[in-house]
Amino acid sequence: MNSFTLSMVLICCGGLAALFLWRQFLLMKAVAVGFIGIGCAVGLTDALTKLLHPGSYAVSLKYLNLFYLSFQIDGLSAFFLVSIFLVSLLAAVYSFHYLNDSQKALRTAVSYLFFALLIASMALVVTAANLITFMLAWEIMSLSSFFLVIYDYESADNRKAGYLYFVFSHVGAMFILAAFGIFYGNTGSFMFADGNTMPDSAKLTILILTFIGFGSKAGVFPFHVWLPHAHPAAPSHISAVMSGVMIKTGIYGIVRLYASLGLHTPLFGEIVLVAGMISGILGVVYALGQHDIKRLLAYHSVENIGIILIGIGIGMLGVSFGNPIMAVLGFAGGLLHVLNHSIFKSLLFMGAGVVIQKTGTRTIDMLGGLLKNMKITGITFLVGSLAISGLPPFNGFVSEFFIYLGGFRGAALDRTAFVLSIMAIVSLAIIGGLALACFTKVVGVVFQGEPRRPDVTAGDEKGPAMLLPMLVLAGLCFIIGVFPRMFIYLALNAIPVSGLGYGRIPMEPFMQITANITLAATVFFVILAGVVALRLVFYKDKTIGSAGTWGCGFTQPTPKMQYTGTSYAASILEFFRPAAPLEEDHPAISGRFPIKTHYHSHVHDIAERHMVHVVVNPVLWLFDRLRWIQHGDIHLYIGYILLAIVVLLFFI
Amino acid sequence: MIKSLMFWVLAIFLAPFFSALILKVKAFFGGKKGPPLLINYYTLVKLFKKGSVYSTSTTFVFKLGPMVSLSSAVTVLLFLPLAGQAPVFSFNGDLLFILYLLGLGRFFTIAAAMDTASPFEGMGAAREAYFPIICEATLFMILILFYVLTGELRLAAYFTGSQPFGLWQMAGSPMLFVVIALFIILLAENSRVPVDDPATHLELTMIHEVMVLDHSGPDFGFIELGSFCKLFFYASIIAQLIMPFESGYLALNLCLFTAGLVVVYLAVGIMESVMARYRMDRVPKFLLTSFALAFFATVITLEFIK
Repeated sequence: MNSFTLSMVLICCGGLAALFLWRQFLLMKAVAVGFIGIGCAVGLTDALTKLLHPGSYAVSLKYLNLFYLSFQIDGLSAFFLVSIFLVSLLAAVYSFHYLNDSQKALRTAVSYLFFALLIASMALVVTAANLITFMLAWEIMSLSSFFLVIYDYESADNRKAGYLYFVFSHVGAMFILAAFGIFYGNTGSFMFADGNTMPDSAKLTILILTFIGFGSKAGVFPFHVWLPHAHPAAPSHISAVMSGVMIKTGIYGIVRLYASLGLHTPLFGEIVLVAGMISGILGVVYALGQHDIKRLLAYHSVENIGIILIGIGIGMLGVSFGNPIMAVLGFAGGLLHVLNHSIFKSLLFMGAGVVIQKTGTRTIDMLGGLLKNMKITGITFLVGSLAISGLPPFNGFVSEFFIYLGGFRGAALDRTAFVLSIMAIVSLAIIGGLALACFTKVVGVVFQGEPRRPDVTAGDEKGPAMLLPMLVLAGLCFIIGVFPRMFIYLALNAIPVSGLGYGRIPMEPFMQITANITLAATVFFVILAGVVALRLVFYKDKTIGSAGTWGCGFTQPTPKMQYTGTSYAASILEFFRPAAPLEEDHPAISGRFPIKTHYHSHVHDIAERHMVHVVVNPVLWLFDRLRWIQHGDIHLYIGYILLAIVVLLFFI
Repeated sequence: MIKSLMFWVLAIFLAPFFSALILKVKAFFGGKKGPPLLINYYTLVKLFKKGSVYSTSTTFVFKLGPMVSLSSAVTVLLFLPLAGQAPVFSFNGDLLFILYLLGLGRFFTIAAAMDTASPFEGMGAAREAYFPIICEATLFMILILFYVLTGELRLAAYFTGSQPFGLWQMAGSPMLFVVIALFIILLAENSRVPVDDPATHLELTMIHEVMVLDHSGPDFGFIELGSFCKLFFYASIIAQLIMPFESGYLALNLCLFTAGLVVVYLAVGIMESVMARYRMDRVPKFLLTSFALAFFATVITLEFIK
């Protein structure tokens, strides 16, 4: 526990030091990034050591003589700690050159404080061993990230996004709190470890309530509404941390509660699986319809949370139906996807951050041809896109491969498991295809072709602190994709504590799978090398010409004629129209010489649309009726408090 | 292993020949003599001898596109059993790798097309990104059927030894649905009529051909060779399904396999001669038919016959 505490202290010191040093902008950044970075590095090594030598490391301290703050690091915690510290470390380094506006020095300092608090609270969330500790850390996490979201608070949109996030995270927290109340009421204990003593019906209620609560943090459809608003509002390194790891604490909560309650009814696995499929498909469909690159990436988080839930759901079904191999494959795939997604999603957000900083716009259709000037950003973004599309030889493929294998195991089972498994497999296939379409759109429109607007061009990329983290992340995408052995080993070490009761999982069959992936990737590279050599031979001493793109006979092409992201996605969106209603706004073209025209399109998120009718309006109506309670007279408020205490006395 | 490697090399070298069969059939229906059967080899040699002209809009991705798409098509053939012969490589789940590797090839073909800044190529790319989504869903549906019947997730497990015949024995007539579904996938994935017309003259209506407009010389040769290999891959899967017999003699197996291949390529040629290309917005419906067929085949087999 010592080095873990040390890392927490270092990270918080970094945040506090920034406040005192804000007048020296560069020094403040260097100190903050240095402390946070070293703290994360210490935490990362510690988590890796604990993951490689599984066991339970616990500490408990008494707080205010009321209750204990208990912490425990087991395999599952250590696995999440690895991705938290890894991404936070790189995001901290990235922020050094990203937050470069010395006019906003104080604000930057405050943002470092909240950034440090966010990292520390995420680490505490996944190490909390009792309900109170968990809830405290959870609240610090929600609040610190709320302040990070409204970093650019001058813009009304950002304030609105922050407010939405605030409401969602607290309504979600209320669900979790309610579930924890039932937990305590049935067991009389705050410890997660005592969860399996209560009756099954209470367990199921707790699981479902926490699923809603954690789902609203993780961005599970239909509780994802805050995500596409909050991620674009936050600075890019914060989006990377929030999307890469913070929303995963929701996944952690689901798995932790599942493990601690030990309720293996198929129903919960089915709920998780179905929620995963819906989030996965709709997330990527909405992503396709976005014009804002960060909103698009935010919707991809919804999609990837869906994939993770599909993996975990398959794992849960495997447990319920007594199929250990399916269970381990599902959980291992789901957990590895947690790590993988944190890697490629933070890479993509960082890439988007560089693009936004250098061009000043987030609108995909205004960009183009950035690859020529921004080689490193472009190439790492391309790697991230390949990885998120689940293509070999990158890391997204490995985790999806495991989930597929688990799903196929399920397809050989009986009715419900069979039906759900084939749905899961087909959904994964569709998600993969749609993600490919979406990322060829982003790469093709933003980085390739010609600049669409003469005024929106990128200068050369500067800021090694921004480029280095992206290179590291792209390297990791590749290493996990080709040599997944070590990483699957880590994921397998995280599973046994999930209380599946299998004891030690045999490693050999799973290591064989990773060996196959390595073999296949190697074969592909050998052949690719052969083709490259062949190309060199064919092009030896040849004349290589250079000319404009063939315009099919048209001789006056302009960059404005290029296919836009909107038109690229149009036909696919048409297919999904019932789930993703498209609103278009353009005047009819009339006359021989049509005057200046415009086109605007917006894909509606059905969850957001219906939330207004189903939730917001009734709630507003109800509180409108209750307005008389709020009269502004302080005596009566004191009376309320007294009354509440008197009433509560009856219950104690 | 050596024998399998020889088969693999042979497959790459014969793939252009079979594609010429389609041209012959089309010429026959058109009342023409048609190009010689070795036309594709002549084209490839001609392309490999040339130099290239690159658009000033392009980057390295444009050059990477043909190489990756050829490599993926050729790698996929390594996992394909031919004429009952074991493939070079085979492992549990290799089919997932194959499908996703073809996806990688597609990603780079699309990326290379988007690299040219040409609106026509963007149009083709958007279609290339759209239609295969449905094809993949169908393929996974068929994969589920095969997996539940055989308990294996290897391509080799379905097409070597007693297996293709065993599949027919276990599933019976629903296998016909599978064959038709696979044939539709073949047409769509390899840009044949009625999904795409490789011989059309209007860039607006193309899918695959328009995406490679700007490639020239050896790069274009790689793309051509890659698409021959890809067509060969799908065609030999169908060929082994419609000729599911295992004679025990390699020579006889080879004859049966070749016969199956010829049937598939002729069928593609006949389709192209007697049908017009669908309007673009009807292609998804055509492809969904294949999904429905695969779905019914799976459900019927697993619920009623098994």
